[in-house]
Amino acid sequence: MLTPASITADLDGVLRTLASLGRVLDIAILGACIGVLLLAAVPRLRQHLKAATGVLAVTLAVGEVVLVWFHLRLWQICQLVDPLTGQVSGSYAVPLWIESEKLFVWALLVAAIAFGVRRHEDDLRPMLAVAAVALATGAVLLGKPFTEPLPDFFAQYSSYLAAWGSGSADMAYQAFRGAEASRLYYYNAWYMWVHPPLLFLSYGAFVASFAATLLMIVRKRSSYEQTAYRWARFGYLPLTLGMVVGMPWAIIAWSGDAWWWSGKVNMSLMMWVMYTAYLHSRLYLRRRGMWRVVALIAVLSFVALVLTYVTTYLVPGAHSVA
Amino acid sequence: MAEETRARASWDFSLMVATVGLLGALGLQSLLGTLYAWWAYRTVPGWEQTGYAGFIDVMNAIAAPVVIALIVVMGLCVPKRMFARKALMGVSAGMIAAGVTVGAVSGSLATGLAVYLALSALIQVAVVVLTLAGAGGLTYITEGRVAKAGSGMLHLGFIIFALVVVGMQDSSLMMPAFMLSGVLLTGGSAMSFYARGR
Repeated sequence: MLTPASITADLDGVLRTLASLGRVLDIAILGACIGVLLLAAVPRLRQHLKAATGVLAVTLAVGEVVLVWFHLRLWQICQLVDPLTGQVSGSYAVPLWIESEKLFVWALLVAAIAFGVRRHEDDLRPMLAVAAVALATGAVLLGKPFTEPLPDFFAQYSSYLAAWGSGSADMAYQAFRGAEASRLYYYNAWYMWVHPPLLFLSYGAFVASFAATLLMIVRKRSSYEQTAYRWARFGYLPLTLGMVVGMPWAIIAWSGDAWWWSGKVNMSLMMWVMYTAYLHSRLYLRRRGMWRVVALIAVLSFVALVLTYVTTYLVPGAHSVA
Repeated sequence: MAEETRARASWDFSLMVATVGLLGALGLQSLLGTLYAWWAYRTVPGWEQTGYAGFIDVMNAIAAPVVIALIVVMGLCVPKRMFARKALMGVSAGMIAAGVTVGAVSGSLATGLAVYLALSALIQVAVVVLTLAGAGGLTYITEGRVAKAGSGMLHLGFIIFALVVVGMQDSSLMMPAFMLSGVLLTGGSAMSFYARGR
């Protein structure tokens, strides 16, 4: 029979195992990051950079597999029970790219792109590898997905368990209602399994596009511009699709909340219009001096992407953790 | 003939500059709005309860003329595929006049815009159908039938999206129309950008 104590005991066991695995993984990831940085910094050793980037990508992929296991265990353990009826309302299908795991997924994607990039690989790989290192380091040291996983999820679920075990029917029911709403409209929502990964895919492609744009600006070679464009058009599709599927969900889930013109929505709109403007302006690239305008819009578009990401943590609102 | 081609290229370029400029203005507004919200959250206690509704009104009021201009430019982009330059000016002016007339008679700017967008959507549907059928006489910057059809679908998706925002917020068809615009936008992006060689 499910009780708050039995759930807590099972969860403690899983969290201990995750932390043990995570300590090893953190060291492996940071070690791989140091190796990649060294090889990227020393031109004579760059011939081994692809292999080192592959090691980083594989290490991050192993970490992702561990997180998949962790989320499967959460699905098995974290049940919501209606305290009034005693009925189990369901489990949590927590997406793999929220809270402390966002940066981790992004790092994995950029590391995979850095490993797999072909066009202008000698120039692009060092830049992308350094970007992957920055993201992976941030994921390990700031996100802490193994040692301090899913802080918001556990804060709410622990409160629910505490209220359920408190003996107060009112308190337990209030906590259940809040947790059930989060489960249905956030953690288990189909949208959360589609929207974030599409955006992270586009972010990864835009990092590559930005790196190629910088190369174009510095070296003034049109082939870099073509590479930047190819990555941007690759990223624009999942960006558009990800944002389009967001609106119907927002209308339903945030009904009655002030979400229109909220910080994250604003900045996402800004990023999308900037990339739309970039792809539009590029149609006239062959006009005299137009490449400078296109390069400027490409740089501004990437700045908008970075601002969109950090807005989640800085500006409060419906789509924010600030 | 050469002069006509040059004039059309210049017209296309002007529309592109206007589109990019308007998109940039919308982006700048988003940035400034976010900075203001960030400042307000930090300095005005309970701002979400007391000031957020006013903030949305101001943002809507600022965005409205930019969005209207974007819709008008988009409306001008659509018939340029089908009509010669002189006819294009006539058709564009006719569409604007129809929108303004309906808006003035009904007393509703949204209704006027909705009529203008509906006319644009009709023409764009014809453009997409003719492109897919391989009909000659349509002018595009892009090459290849798939890329051309994608470009047409992309514009149609934008128009339907604008139509949803402007005139279908309370309609039971809002969600299906929105999903249709989403399919056209993403499908059109895929066909338009991925079918090009470079």
